[in-house]
Amino acid sequence: MKKLFILLFCAFSAQAAQMEVMGNVASKCVVTPDTAGVFGNPTSDVLSTDPTDGGVDPVVRFDVIQASSYKARISYPTAFSASPTLNDTVVWTGDVATSQVSDTSMSGYDAAKVEFDNVTEFSLTVAGSTWFKTESQADYGYGKAFPGGVYRAIVSAECIAI
Amino acid sequence: MHRYLILLLVMSGYASAHSFVPTYPELKPSYVEGILYTTMSLFNARKDVEYYEFGVFNAEWEKVPFAMQNKIMRFKHLEKKKIDIYIREKDKQEVVYICSKSKLIITGASKTSVSSRVCSKVK
Repeated sequence: MKKLFILLFCAFSAQAAQMEVMGNVASKCVVTPDTAGVFGNPTSDVLSTDPTDGGVDPVVRFDVIQASSYKARISYPTAFSASPTLNDTVVWTGDVATSQVSDTSMSGYDAAKVEFDNVTEFSLTVAGSTWFKTESQADYGYGKAFPGGVYRAIVSAECIAI
Repeated sequence: MHRYLILLLVMSGYASAHSFVPTYPELKPSYVEGILYTTMSLFNARKDVEYYEFGVFNAEWEKVPFAMQNKIMRFKHLEKKKIDIYIREKDKQEVVYICSKSKLIITGASKTSVSSRVCSKVK
């Protein structure tokens, strides 16, 4: 009986020694809105997310687990998604840039970015997290004051497999 | 490095994120002849988003016909669902991207919201 216990003990010990730990690192992109943007109203005809204008730039974080699998495509708004009735034109300007990186080799992202229309593309060539801030400004008519009310706009953040 | 990244991604998944995997899905034959399918998985950790819209596109970002249970689906906060996307075999060569896009609800004060879209590339 004692021998049987010893045999069983040895068998379990042997199994434990051969236990396997498996893992799978799969390519993945996670888009996380990090900071909500807020429009400041420095003058009556301007709404701007620039902190110097009393606004807050929206920040989006992109996490990629494998390098060179995705590109980030970020667009600043070109229209309000909600606003009071506007009877004059609104001119939009904006800029997208990295605000924080998890790896120093991502410092070249801004120099390599591709811009067209209101869209900015970044090739995510390094694994890790990148924070992108989007600055946008809306100018109303010719020196006209924006009517009172709530103004909302949408920043589009896309992570596209390449 | 990978351990740190995995930890970061797991933690980030619980912040306020949108993920859509696999990155490179493969189209497989379905139980219906002439129809291919792939299974995607979406995880919604965005508190401000409850609905996601799905789309299939070619290399020029033109829409490619596809079928699924609902093209706009509801995902509760921190919910993960597997989704089967069906594509005609004759469209196989055209299909390049399968995307999920957050649908935003307009409420609250003057601010900018972020619409997130994650696109996978078909092998």
